Amino acid sequence: MMKLESITKEFGALTAVDNVTLEVPKGQMLGIIGRSGAGKSTLLRMINRLGDATSGTIIFQDEDTVVDVNSLKGQELRDWRTRCAMIFQQFNLVPRLNVITNVLMGRINYSSVLKTLFVMFSPGERALAIRALDRLDVSAQALQRADTLSGGQQQRVAIARALVQEPKVLLADEPIASLDPRNAQIVMDALKTINQEDGITVICNLHTLDTAKKYCDRVVGMKLGKVIFDGHPDELTDEQAKDIYMSGAEADEEFSAAITSTAI
Amino acid sequence: MSVRLTDITEDMVAEDQIRFPRVFSMTLKEKAIRTLVMGGGTLILLYGLNRFGFFSDKFWGSLGKLWTMFGQMFPPTGWDQIDIFAHAIGETLAMAIIGSLIGGILALPFACMASKNLMPIRPIQFSFRRFADVLRSADYLIWGLVFVRALGLGPVSGIMAIIIIDTGILITLYSEALENIDRKPIDGIKASGGGRLQVLRFGVMPQVLPVLLSNALYMFESNTRAATILGIVGAGGIGFLLSDNLRAFEFSNACTIILMIIAVVYVIDYMSKKLRERFIHGDRVSQGHDRPMERVARKMNE
Repeated sequence: MMKLESITKEFGALTAVDNVTLEVPKGQMLGIIGRSGAGKSTLLRMINRLGDATSGTIIFQDEDTVVDVNSLKGQELRDWRTRCAMIFQQFNLVPRLNVITNVLMGRINYSSVLKTLFVMFSPGERALAIRALDRLDVSAQALQRADTLSGGQQQRVAIARALVQEPKVLLADEPIASLDPRNAQIVMDALKTINQEDGITVICNLHTLDTAKKYCDRVVGMKLGKVIFDGHPDELTDEQAKDIYMSGAEADEEFSAAITSTAI
Repeated sequence: MSVRLTDITEDMVAEDQIRFPRVFSMTLKEKAIRTLVMGGGTLILLYGLNRFGFFSDKFWGSLGKLWTMFGQMFPPTGWDQIDIFAHAIGETLAMAIIGSLIGGILALPFACMASKNLMPIRPIQFSFRRFADVLRSADYLIWGLVFVRALGLGPVSGIMAIIIIDTGILITLYSEALENIDRKPIDGIKASGGGRLQVLRFGVMPQVLPVLLSNALYMFESNTRAATILGIVGAGGIGFLLSDNLRAFEFSNACTIILMIIAVVYVIDYMSKKLRERFIHGDRVSQGHDRPMERVARKMNE
């Protein structure tokens, strides 16, 4: 279970995330929706500490451990990041390395630094990486350079990298925003499968309402850094969706969920 | 199904080794190339060092002399001549500034002619590239010697040498920057009905200007260092005083000059680096694709 308590992030005079409190039970697939600049990415990046919160606490708790995320540093912080994997809108693979090496990057915190610097991973880890690629149907490209792959393939490689981390939580920051509808569907299906089969908690930032409705158990709507909706996707009324996606003058215009749709 | 490392059996590894042998080990060819490169490199290095006497008693015996020389450098002396030194350093700086300014501007039209995307006529583009190669292939000191013969002793010869090298290197650097520009803004300007000059002005220049300025400043740093030694061949500046003092075994005077050179070069490098960061920074800020909020915040802070 993950507990965010009064999380706030300020960039100078701008409050990007404003006093957010959330509780995410183990194994949930949570979608965070909102316009660009609503604070979704900033929130996600604070969970694995790519960015630090200005105030508030993040507690992660499972059978054997309790982690106070904001207080972590050094090796403990790196361990947390391994357990709390992340995928990105732009995939964030290393373009000049081949696919299998990119996936093995998910194992760099599992053995000694010196070994990893010489790309010395055990046969078991290499087999694990291949199995992860198999699962996402990209193992045929294992020896190609990552930048020769299409966007959809790259995102699947990124998911494989996240999987071999053997994470408890998977953060996905706009995972389909750079993909065409077909690839977007493949990637979202993969995230759903991972969530259901592995019991990994997935927290996914999404631009579009219909994707969130289709895939997520729970939707959180953010606007200007604040949570303004939290519940089952079916409970989200048109009025509330309008509030999430529109501001000021626009709000008078007629709203239809279709405008936020990419129809996948 | 989910897979964890503890679920991986030896059979699964064996199976994968057959499916993807290259994931598990390098091919024979790759191993051979690696051994050859590493072994060959070591051999060339050892042979070369031995050939030039790095393993001889003469080399190791003279290290003591070097130490004595260093000893004679301290404490630095010649403070009564400080105004002469300072004047010479000023001349050196002036040489670097004038040479860099003229070279930096002169290189621009040549660079346009040497860029594949701006000069479609291949032979012309090619010959401008080779022209740049000729300019920069001889170093500062060689051009310095040539101009001292032709124009006589003094900073004019040094400035000419700097202009030649600066232009030669900047033609290459500029034209590479010009060739690496993004097509998208150019298509945007064209699609709005822009002509060749307008495309150059609005599609190309805003993209490359920071890079060009940064390159020119980098060359200015390099030129400052070069200008300090051009005096050795008589092409003006502090280098003449330095070599004069070294030849007369006035090591402690030379030390003062060297310290002054280090200070000046350090200040120039620092200022130039700060300026270059400015240009590049302004150019790159917009890359924060996945962090819209931080981008907004950065804009607000500026």
